[in-house]
Amino acid sequence: MNLIGLQTFIQREIQRFLRVAIQTLVSPWISALLYIFIFGYVVGQRIDLIAGVTYIDFVLPGILMLNLINSAFGQTSSSLYFQRFARHIEEVLVAPLSYLEMILGYVIAGVVRGLVVGFGVFMIAVVFSAANMEHVGLFLLYSIGVSLIFSFLGLLIGLWADSFEQLTILNTFIITPLTFLGGVFNSIHMLPEKAQLIMKLNPFFYFVDGLRYSMIGLHEGSLFVGAVIMVILVLAFGGLTWYLFSTGWRLRG
Amino acid sequence: MNALEITNFTKRYGKTVAVDSISLSVKPGEFFGFLGPNGAGKSTTIHCITGIARFTEGTISVFGHDVNQDYREARKKIGLSPQEFNIDIFAPIRKILWYVGGFYGMSREERKKRTEEMIKVFELEKHAEKQFRQLSGGLKRRVMLARAMMHDPQLLILDEPTAGVDVELRHELWDYLRKINEAGKTILFTSHYLEEVERLCNRIAIIYEGKIVAVGDKSEFVKEGSNLEKKYLELTRKSGGKS
Repeated sequence: MNLIGLQTFIQREIQRFLRVAIQTLVSPWISALLYIFIFGYVVGQRIDLIAGVTYIDFVLPGILMLNLINSAFGQTSSSLYFQRFARHIEEVLVAPLSYLEMILGYVIAGVVRGLVVGFGVFMIAVVFSAANMEHVGLFLLYSIGVSLIFSFLGLLIGLWADSFEQLTILNTFIITPLTFLGGVFNSIHMLPEKAQLIMKLNPFFYFVDGLRYSMIGLHEGSLFVGAVIMVILVLAFGGLTWYLFSTGWRLRG
Repeated sequence: MNALEITNFTKRYGKTVAVDSISLSVKPGEFFGFLGPNGAGKSTTIHCITGIARFTEGTISVFGHDVNQDYREARKKIGLSPQEFNIDIFAPIRKILWYVGGFYGMSREERKKRTEEMIKVFELEKHAEKQFRQLSGGLKRRVMLARAMMHDPQLLILDEPTAGVDVELRHELWDYLRKINEAGKTILFTSHYLEEVERLCNRIAIIYEGKIVAVGDKSEFVKEGSNLEKKYLELTRKSGGKS
């Protein structure tokens, strides 16, 4: 294994998002700050307790998850797509790096960006006295697991996209709607029974639910089902990414 | 052992045959000119040697290392300066060199030393902290060469390295390339400026419509009062060309 090569690859990817920190870090933090302020304080103070917790405590894990997903996905999708678009992916293709090292380089940087953004959101919540932590290990597991899933998904989109518009399609039509409908802002019990069943088919519900449990000790779905979904998605997206990289699809002419 | 050994290499894009069963060898220390009109298959061949493109027919090896089976060793021996600026245009020059050195497995100490050496050799001291996009065309070409030389490869592949370069820099580049060739580097060189190929290279191959139509010592192309340009036009016309 080319360890120096891999380490350099990760460094370069991290440096890439630090170079545009306003866009990659400050922007999600400001957006989280506004969410916490508006939903937690302005609107939240007029909402009753949900399962015994305040509204801000209830929505914070979802807000954190939303930022984690967007950051991990944005990191790998935009990095790979832009490198293909500007052709400096060739700099990596001619180097003695294996497909595994390339994938690891992109994905680790995606997870790092997700965690850095997530940590920032958590610190904002600390300032607003809205941060809780019941199970640190589980919190890290969910944060890393979800960042991995969306880093792989970002790579798949970065490979597939042929235009900047295509790069945003998944985010606009799948990720954002499913996240918002995954119980970020509402309890599943606020919905009619049939809608609850539909919500339980949404994997994003389990991501938010698991993170919520790790932070405030409250969950509305099955943690086991959530863990299984997470493992399946990591393996499925990781396996597909590996396959496409190894065939050189849209990477090597 | 040859620096580059291409045997029955074919590259297809769907049903289109871009390179048609070519065989070619470049000996260690040669300054080898690889000529042909646009679309003849030069860049496709270079892409397959370096790993930018895949191929399934034929074999290519670099100093005995198969570019598919033993790609890590083969790629360590190659330095590529491509025709297009395939570089992160927002990255500063020093960082570009630093990262490329890392990709090739160079330690921090080695990289630091070599980065400074390349910056000095290519007279980039005043521009080392500038982003690539801020440089002039000539300086960009120097950076491309510095990047190709960063890991001290044995085979340097230069795909039109003097395109868009002014006369002074062209002469400087020629001097530098002659110097490193004399020091033992093997160079595969493509250019549309046939006079520079005639001036620099000691062996030449001409590719036309995916086939090698001539290969030999420079003397074979310039004998009997002829020059490379005349011979080149003659060969590509004979092969059905429109030039």
